[in-house]
Amino acid sequence: MVNPMRSLLSISALLLSGWAFVSNALADPICVVDDRGRDVCIDHAAMRIAALSPGATELIYAAGAGDNVVAVVSYSDYPEAAKSVTSVGSHTRLDLERLISLQPDLILAWGTGNPTEQIETLERLGLPVYYVEPHEFEDIARNIDNLGALAGTSKRAKEEAKRFRTGIDVLHERYKQAPRVKTFYQVWDEPLMTMNGSHYISKVVDLCGGDNVFADSPRLIPRLSQEAVLLKNPEAIIAGGMGERNANWLEKWRVFADLLATQKGNLFFVPPSLIQRPTPRLLEGAQILCEKLDIARARR
Amino acid sequence: MCVSMLSVVFAITQGSVNLSPYAVWQALLGQGSGLNQTLVLELRLPRVMAAFATGGLLAVAGALMQILLRNPLADPYVLGISGGASVAALAAILLGISGVLMSGMAFLGAVLSTLLVFGLSARLGNTATMRLLLTGVVIAAGWGALITLMLALAPPHKIPGMLYWLMGDLSYASTPWLAWLVLVPTCLILMPLGRSLNVLARGPLQAAALGVNVKSLERFVFLLASLLTAIAVTTAGSVGFVGLVIPHMLRMVLGNDQRLILPASALAGGCLVTLADTLARTVIAPEQLPVGVITALLGVPTFLYLLQRGRL
Repeated sequence: MVNPMRSLLSISALLLSGWAFVSNALADPICVVDDRGRDVCIDHAAMRIAALSPGATELIYAAGAGDNVVAVVSYSDYPEAAKSVTSVGSHTRLDLERLISLQPDLILAWGTGNPTEQIETLERLGLPVYYVEPHEFEDIARNIDNLGALAGTSKRAKEEAKRFRTGIDVLHERYKQAPRVKTFYQVWDEPLMTMNGSHYISKVVDLCGGDNVFADSPRLIPRLSQEAVLLKNPEAIIAGGMGERNANWLEKWRVFADLLATQKGNLFFVPPSLIQRPTPRLLEGAQILCEKLDIARARR
Repeated sequence: MCVSMLSVVFAITQGSVNLSPYAVWQALLGQGSGLNQTLVLELRLPRVMAAFATGGLLAVAGALMQILLRNPLADPYVLGISGGASVAALAAILLGISGVLMSGMAFLGAVLSTLLVFGLSARLGNTATMRLLLTGVVIAAGWGALITLMLALAPPHKIPGMLYWLMGDLSYASTPWLAWLVLVPTCLILMPLGRSLNVLARGPLQAAALGVNVKSLERFVFLLASLLTAIAVTTAGSVGFVGLVIPHMLRMVLGNDQRLILPASALAGGCLVTLADTLARTVIAPEQLPVGVITALLGVPTFLYLLQRGRL
């Protein structure tokens, strides 16, 4: 005969131990807040990560989790190792089939770059999505920290984030009292484009003691006429662009002898790959840009 | 009919991930690995269904427009319907709206454009279709200008999405059911009207003489074609060329009997877009192409070939 009381006890003991087992498996889900302020929680460190923008790829590698990246998009050209990871199309149009067949356990999405419909589909299929959209220097450092936490590489990530924060602080200290330089940063040549004060490139200019002459422009990436630039009469012109050989853009400004930047010879080129992506390499780009503005100050 | 079934089957078995036909079949039956089921049921099937329905809608709309306007160059977009939808959809993209709301705005844009054209050309006598055509063309040009304006003012990161939408792109298509809900009843409604439409195609005077209520028939055909186009544009953006070329091709092959042409258009249009989208997904995978490019690239040489054989 089985004692009913006893079997009840053993069942509840079984249930309890089962619960303990389950709660152990679920112990401490990893939770971080992404750039859209959403809570992103995963049960265990992400081992198969899909980075859906070149910038996100750089950030996840910087966080020390490059080995866990299984999918990238076109133009993910840094670091070198990212070039050999499977591509799932361009960031504007993803090959969802290929992406899902890689069975990622974490998606690093680019809210303003990836098509909303496709990211919604991924979320509907139950994949955790972390939005990477840094706007400030601190966002870059925080993203590295967060990605390190999600991928279980916090130690590396914290070091890298600290290196970045320290580097930016050093520049801030060095240039906060420096005489200001009226600066025009040329994002693109035809059509002529720059960025307004809320863009992170403008924040680099500001960090280096420069004043973006189009900081008050209402649009993030204004298209300009040459006249508008001449009217602002910047003391320094800095060209970015797409490839690394757009220094000839600066030649066009030499025609205007009355332009302050032309008079002083302050026409500079900063490698766009170092400054036109919000990634840890921005620190290097900022250092170069700061040096250029220092040259401009020396020519006064 | 057989060809269209085959094209759908072919489309489902093709993708940037290689799945054997057997694996696809298993996934359709709800067996096989979870991954395969996701790929086939969540990604491929809805997209293929959306492609087929879009093609069907556009081809039928094109056939109707050609009857209505008695003009071989008429296509679903000639009267500015897609222009209105595009302007609304691009505005939605600019405002950061997506998904169902964006489709809704595209639909409203198409309806608005239709009502505008219809309202402006409503005071008519015998020149009805001429007025309709001219009003439509001018309004389409106006929408075109607005589209260019929006592209010029758009922030750079939104431009790729806008261009894809303008070229027609099925990766936005979230649900194919709306398109099917319109396509199937339309074909059923048009069946008994085939005879009247045949007469109308020969000219309104003859049609009236033969006892067809021309005015109400024309109005019905116009509104129906507009609705079909609006739904198609809402599903997949403005996929060009299908509505123009499919009815012509079928006329060369089948003769000019609307009772045959209209349902055949639905099937052939569906096939063309399904095949084109399959190519768009796979031809340079993982990069994805807009389906509109492929429909035109496939359609133009085929159409020219048929023309050269001298059956038009």
